[in-house]
Amino acid sequence: MTTSTPTPEVSGRDRNPFLARTKLADKLGERGLRICTFLAALLAVALVVWIVCKLVHSAWPAIDRFGLAFVVHRVWDPVTGQFGALPFLYGTALSSLLALLVATPVAIAIAIYLTELAPSFLRKPVAMLVELLAAIPSVILGLWGILVLGPFLGNHLEPFLKSFLGWLPLFSGTPSPYGMLNASIILTIMVLPIITSVTREVFQTTPVADKEGALALGATRWEMIKLVVLPQARPGLVGAVMLGLGRAIGEAIAVTQVIGNAAQIKASLFASGGTAAAQIASDFPSANPGVWQASLIYLAVILLVFSALANIAARLIVRHGTVR
Amino acid sequence: MKRRIPAGLLLGALVAVGIAVGIAACGGSGSGKPTGSGSVRSLTGAGSTLVAPLVSEWTAPYQQQAGVEITYGAIGSGAGIESIVGRTVDFAASDAPLTASQATVCKGCLEIPWALSATLVAYNVKGVPSGLRFTGQVLAGIWTGRITTWSDPRIRKLNPGVKLPDTRIVPVHRTDGSGDTYAFTSYLSQSSAAFKSEIGSATSVSWPGGIGGNGNSGVGGVLASTNGSIAYMAIAYVFENNFDYGLVENAAGKFPTPGIRSIAAAAAMLTTVPTSGTSGISLVDPPASEPAAYPLATFSYVLVPTASTTAAGTALKRFISWAVTAGQRYGPDLDFAPLPAAVVSADQQILRKVR
Repeated sequence: MTTSTPTPEVSGRDRNPFLARTKLADKLGERGLRICTFLAALLAVALVVWIVCKLVHSAWPAIDRFGLAFVVHRVWDPVTGQFGALPFLYGTALSSLLALLVATPVAIAIAIYLTELAPSFLRKPVAMLVELLAAIPSVILGLWGILVLGPFLGNHLEPFLKSFLGWLPLFSGTPSPYGMLNASIILTIMVLPIITSVTREVFQTTPVADKEGALALGATRWEMIKLVVLPQARPGLVGAVMLGLGRAIGEAIAVTQVIGNAAQIKASLFASGGTAAAQIASDFPSANPGVWQASLIYLAVILLVFSALANIAARLIVRHGTVR
Repeated sequence: MKRRIPAGLLLGALVAVGIAVGIAACGGSGSGKPTGSGSVRSLTGAGSTLVAPLVSEWTAPYQQQAGVEITYGAIGSGAGIESIVGRTVDFAASDAPLTASQATVCKGCLEIPWALSATLVAYNVKGVPSGLRFTGQVLAGIWTGRITTWSDPRIRKLNPGVKLPDTRIVPVHRTDGSGDTYAFTSYLSQSSAAFKSEIGSATSVSWPGGIGGNGNSGVGGVLASTNGSIAYMAIAYVFENNFDYGLVENAAGKFPTPGIRSIAAAAAMLTTVPTSGTSGISLVDPPASEPAAYPLATFSYVLVPTASTTAAGTALKRFISWAVTAGQRYGPDLDFAPLPAAVVSADQQILRKVR
């Protein structure tokens, strides 16, 4: 009588001698994965810490000499060694603010159109074209700003604005192809695709049931968007705007090509100005080591702090918005 | 029977391969220049945009003559000085002599004048022809913001018979550290006490208003696109781009046409040429005894370390020696005047100090 040994229910692993040996390999692999990913995360954190430390260390001669008053000094004079960040912080704030003011409503409008109103065959191509805007290198946009936008502003748009709205200090002054208005428009173009794509994704996460419910209750398309889509998208919108702000603050090359690079604060949008990033880009190669170079790095530290604060503020708003 | 490679092992293997490739790539790429004994095949330099056309003109004939390739980056005099201080290049070109603090930081750099050029005042105003006359006082007034329109009586007095429009003057300046800025501000500081106290002279100054451009080419771009603008630019850039340029009054009260002759006349005024290699030679606003001298002529210097860390010292000596002698014949086509003989012999003397 042959009795077959009952084969217990085991996994193929135990039955196949090759696979049995890989139990050790599994453990090692698991350990290896943990170590590798930990090292990668550590690398990222270490990089941030290292950059901040190095920046502050290099900026120390300027921090020591000017202290916090650097933020309110208006003079930037390499000859006498007087440096102040105020004109550049003003320029950064003004150009970024203008860019966001114009880009955000346009981006929301584009996102609404692409998610709710466009015929389905149009959505993908238009979305791709908008994202293509983000792919344009900043230097190319700067060149376009010099060659196309500049003459248009200097010869047509700015005189037009001046003739109708010249009584406003914003539009007083001599029309010029280079200046705050040119830089703000370039920044708007750069910031638009970022805000649009994030906003579009946020709109797409609206629960369909909520939308259909609103429509079923008799809301018009616009009422549905206003009452259902926009409120639930608010935290995501803030995140999108903050992303755009980050891009606008940090843009150096395109801005330095069109803004005129003058360390001054003028009310008129037609006047030249400077932003922190643009000033660092244009001055750094020739700044003498010493107070001048340290002042530029101090400017970079202020920029870093500002970006970090904006980031933190965005996260707080998003978290507050999602916790109901 | 399915063979399953654990994901962790795969990831670990990929990371290890990546690190190995990275190390191999880093170790494999060395610098192109052999150090120590042996011939040097290339020299790198950086600096002034004014002298850039001449240096690039020198590259081909010198390569043929000595087999050494010259690579030059036109990043501005200020950035060039930075580079030689950091010894990231073999030589630097600057239109401004080293300041005392720069000389200390450079630790034994010699400045050797190797080109003779000039800074011009170019402008772009619709309806105004080339050849407007300016004095140092008027130019200082324009750049300090005291003279604001082209029809200002001070400009009209110098140019009777020229119809000047009411267009606003837009003064353009260099945003990068520039020898042109140095020459121009030196001239204006000598012509106007107000300019000297308000702005001063250096390779980079704080300008009240106006528009800034990066390099001679950046300034040229601003000039070309802004009606009513006025700028100071290297002579080669002005002539090549056919900008309208002005005539500047010299100490003798004349308005010489900028060009090889008037620049050479300014250089002929030199009585003594320093041979220490540690000071510049100013040609700005030469005395009145030469009526044909152009007041904004400037030497351009090559900055070399007294002792090069690589074997480039000998190659540098040969290159600069060639540049101040045989290389000068390429100058006039690019609007560089030939160096006066006194300067060439002084240069040879300074070169003897280079190891």
